[in-house]
Amino acid sequence: MKSKMLRPLILNLVTWSLVLLISFPLLWMIVTSLKPQTELFRIPPTWVPETVTFEHYWRLLTETPFLTFFRNSVVLATSTTIFVVGLGTLGAYSLVRFRFRGRETLAMLVLFTYLLPSVVLIIPLYLMMVNLGISNTLFSLILAHTTFALPYALWLLRSFMEGIPDDLENAALVDGASRLGAFKDVIFPQLLPGIISTALFTFILSWNEYLYALVLVNSESVAPLTTGVMTMLISAFNIEWSLLMAASVMMSVPLIVVFAFLQSYLTSGFGAGGVKG
Amino acid sequence: MTTIATDPPRNGPSPLERSYSRLGMLLIAPTIVVFSAVIVYPLLAAIYLSVFSIYTPTLEGEFVGADNYIEMLTGGVFWSSLLTTLIWTVGTLSLQIVFGVGLALLLHQNIWFRSLARSLVLFPYFLSTVVAVLVWRWLFNDLYGALNHGLMQVGIIDMPLDWLGSMPNAMIGVILVGAWKYFPFVVIAVLARLQTIPENLYEAARIDGAGPIARFWDVTLPQLRSVLTVIILLRAIWDFKEFDLLYLLTGGGPVTSTQTLSLLVYQEAFSLNRMGQAAAYSVGMMLVMLVFMILYIRRTKEES
Repeated sequence: MKSKMLRPLILNLVTWSLVLLISFPLLWMIVTSLKPQTELFRIPPTWVPETVTFEHYWRLLTETPFLTFFRNSVVLATSTTIFVVGLGTLGAYSLVRFRFRGRETLAMLVLFTYLLPSVVLIIPLYLMMVNLGISNTLFSLILAHTTFALPYALWLLRSFMEGIPDDLENAALVDGASRLGAFKDVIFPQLLPGIISTALFTFILSWNEYLYALVLVNSESVAPLTTGVMTMLISAFNIEWSLLMAASVMMSVPLIVVFAFLQSYLTSGFGAGGVKG
Repeated sequence: MTTIATDPPRNGPSPLERSYSRLGMLLIAPTIVVFSAVIVYPLLAAIYLSVFSIYTPTLEGEFVGADNYIEMLTGGVFWSSLLTTLIWTVGTLSLQIVFGVGLALLLHQNIWFRSLARSLVLFPYFLSTVVAVLVWRWLFNDLYGALNHGLMQVGIIDMPLDWLGSMPNAMIGVILVGAWKYFPFVVIAVLARLQTIPENLYEAARIDGAGPIARFWDVTLPQLRSVLTVIILLRAIWDFKEFDLLYLLTGGGPVTSTQTLSLLVYQEAFSLNRMGQAAAYSVGMMLVMLVFMILYIRRTKEES
């Protein structure tokens, strides 16, 4: 039975060559960030670096405002996540477990805004921030990020909440707990994995956001990584690709960490939020 | 457990139920306040602004009625941008679906280091668009780019191509990068669904003498149908409104050949300084999207 042996081999070869092809741009990013400047402009390019150097990383951290951008991004993404997940947890609890007028309409409104294009909101938001005198601050960006993060978190938390059986809460109520007591002791522990994965996804969204930062913030001291690193590309007279690739790698490190955490939540989180609805 | 009476007799809402619904509204109140301030108000403001002519640097303007909309419908810019948006959406979405379903099927098989392979495939989706664009602009570089040299070494092309600076290469380029960045979403969703297809369906098909290809068409695809509809709707909406990727890769160029509606709105508001006109374009864009959005919302409602 030669074909019985051959089939898995071919399957593996095909799959892995596709996987490597897909991850090639990312491998190339790492390779480029480690090459010395002289090797970078070799024609044809060296596919494996002849000499490995960390000078670009060192220059990135000491000679560019990269660390300021990084700090801004951490503050921005963390604050947005805490704000939105806090609001969203209470909101989702209310949407799923309470009966009141307008509940269904509200849920559909959340879904509608989840699909809304940012460019529709960007003009009025810009005017709003200018009028409030808070344009060009991290706070204005946190508010702006709420526009996409809140509907997203609410929708995701809502579907996690729907997965918790009613009986648990009812049993606690029968035993004399108040609604909020039952929430704290019964619902919250059950919902925690959902809250964590929602928080991680929200963090990623906010970390990667570009358009609002482009419009609302224009000074280096408050720019997050996305716009900050792009200005390094645009302002440079000759583009230093290895420096930019080093910046790209450093920018992706937090995502790799989050991604590692997410592994177990991936299917549940995405299944729940994006697809099952 | 001796307590049985949890529900009071059903004649109108009981005091307890009424206090519950008050608590429910109290819990959602902060969300509603923030929602109204940062989403509902700006949304209405966008519609309001679209009947004014506003100069961006001074933010001063005057009421112009339907002028912006007349300009939108008769000016031609909106329509050509809409066409570009449709080409981009259809192009990148079809690649995403084909590669997404294909890779999901492969990654569903029992291959070596399966979870590593899955992580590698999913990663582009989680990456910042800025990072994806920087990497691809370096790959696309006409002099030192790895893509041109790789293709030349394999013998597909003889001369380096100008990827982002000329047509139709620029459109092909953005469609490719879009597919690379977003197809993992399809992989995740399809993989999750594949895991729930009962094995006995395949057994039955095998007994009936169906080969692998027949099994795909007769068993797998019908089972994937509902999830694929949702994915296509959702991704169509997201690709349609995509801004970052196109803006950063080509800036809408060469000239306006990759300028989608999102880019048009941005350009109009912040480069041409015509904020009112930009608001009108954004309302027009939203109206086009509304078709997809309503379809998606309807579907979600049906399922729940």
